[in-house]
Amino acid sequence: MEVIDNREITDNVFILRLELTENALKPEPGQFYLLRPDSGYDPLLGRPFSAFRWNNDWIEFLIRKTGRGTALLSTFRPGDHIRILGPLGRSFPPHSPHKTPVVLAGGIGMASVYSLTLKHKAEHIFIYGAKSATELLLTEDIRPRVRELYLCTDDGSMGFQGNVVEFFTEFLKKTSSHSIVVYACGPEKMTKSLMEILKKYNIESYLSLEERMACGLGACMGCAKDTKTGMKRVCMEGPVFNIEEL
Amino acid sequence: MNLEVKIGKMTMKNPVTTASGTFGYGSEYAEFVDLNLLGAVTVKGISLEPREGNPPPRIYETPCGMLNSIGLQNVGLKNFLDEKLPYLKGFDTRIIVNILGNTIDEYCELSSALDGKVDAIELNVSCPNVKKGGVLFSNNNDMLRTLIKEVRTTVKTSTVIVKLSPASADIVMQARICEEVGIDAVSMINTIPAMAIDIHSRRPRLSNIIGGLSGPAIRPIGVRMVWETHRAINIPIIAMGGIMTAEDAMEYILAGATAVAIGTANFVKPTVTLDIIEGMKKYMLIHGIDDINSLIGGLIC
Repeated sequence: MEVIDNREITDNVFILRLELTENALKPEPGQFYLLRPDSGYDPLLGRPFSAFRWNNDWIEFLIRKTGRGTALLSTFRPGDHIRILGPLGRSFPPHSPHKTPVVLAGGIGMASVYSLTLKHKAEHIFIYGAKSATELLLTEDIRPRVRELYLCTDDGSMGFQGNVVEFFTEFLKKTSSHSIVVYACGPEKMTKSLMEILKKYNIESYLSLEERMACGLGACMGCAKDTKTGMKRVCMEGPVFNIEEL
Repeated sequence: MNLEVKIGKMTMKNPVTTASGTFGYGSEYAEFVDLNLLGAVTVKGISLEPREGNPPPRIYETPCGMLNSIGLQNVGLKNFLDEKLPYLKGFDTRIIVNILGNTIDEYCELSSALDGKVDAIELNVSCPNVKKGGVLFSNNNDMLRTLIKEVRTTVKTSTVIVKLSPASADIVMQARICEEVGIDAVSMINTIPAMAIDIHSRRPRLSNIIGGLSGPAIRPIGVRMVWETHRAINIPIIAMGGIMTAEDAMEYILAGATAVAIGTANFVKPTVTLDIIEGMKKYMLIHGIDDINSLIGGLIC
């Protein structure tokens, strides 16, 4: 697909906008794509990225530079071509009208849950955390889309001082755990500690997980995660998992 | 123009199949590839019982290649026969089933259950023999000979292929053993044992520490091994190892391969198998070749 725009929003995060052809399937929130340059073998495999924003004409990916693959993608300019495969995987299921959707986003995990606010405007309670204020991205873009926005930073440079899970623990003291449904994506450490709390309070929750991936189609078994019912493929049975499976 | 090739008793409409483990059980790629157009589909390795495989991380990308240590996760023989095989039977293509076992008896049981139901059985011999202290069958020529002899005696109808490991001390010798025992064909090369380290955490990139290297990085090694083997044996070779394009496939055929298997390239581009078949036809057209068989081992040197 043709690159329409590639914009740096911080030193190491960029938004890549690609053309979507007329017949292209549109993603559902939580689904992902494999992206790779159109030629060359190094990097070899596509890299998985959640669909960030889209409309009928284009799709955007919010990407943090973490290695060779992402660094290369950051150099693509309008008119260049990128090979994309998707939408892939399972999406976040819609929430029951009787429950308040609470979104927890840690760091670049925001890219995966942001799109929940595209469909259901001003319904979500959005809790978003990062190391410091400079790493909290697009907060003024998120604010009008959600019912409540809470920001957290590890260093206290903006909002609550502490991580998303610590904030959520406080939040739960004022909330009935049966009245909410949680959608979350963040670094592995966050997911781990979050899962303990979600399980303790028996909260309906859906977590988007990450794993190194090759085919994206369920064939190579490379992206397996150990679950209650055995090894599951992040690309097929995920990336969004019901917490009951984990 | 003839692209038809023969591997043992199995006739393939063209020389292109998939490498075991890279194409699932076929259905995973059916949205992208008309399976009817492939010379054969080689499915993920099957064991008697389902296997869970290794804990993650299971893959890691390296320059022009990737490491994997999936740990042979698979649905097991029963599920394969009940669910996966009937699906594949719906296509006009040959079915090659890769098998793996912990003991010679397991290989024989698998072969016997599959014999006649599939076109070919491919033995993954890079598995530990639990009865001999976990030594890989492919690491010991005597053990390899005993194994493939037993399987050879067991299988009456299907074509028998042995997949050779580039990590064995002498892959050419092992191909000779296959021919002596009456195996129909060899496939080569399996992945190359390799590893990578995260220097910051000082931990291995794969949970299993060692994995198999595949992708274009290994192609020249595969080409060399196929060439050496082709000179030593008269049974056909199914070549694999980093084939990304029709040019790569032609290189293997000129080195002595009768057929080629596409592996890691499927991850890079799901439709690559069809591109390669078309590219091979184009090559033949440009070079005025009527029969692909006339190019096998056609290296001039």
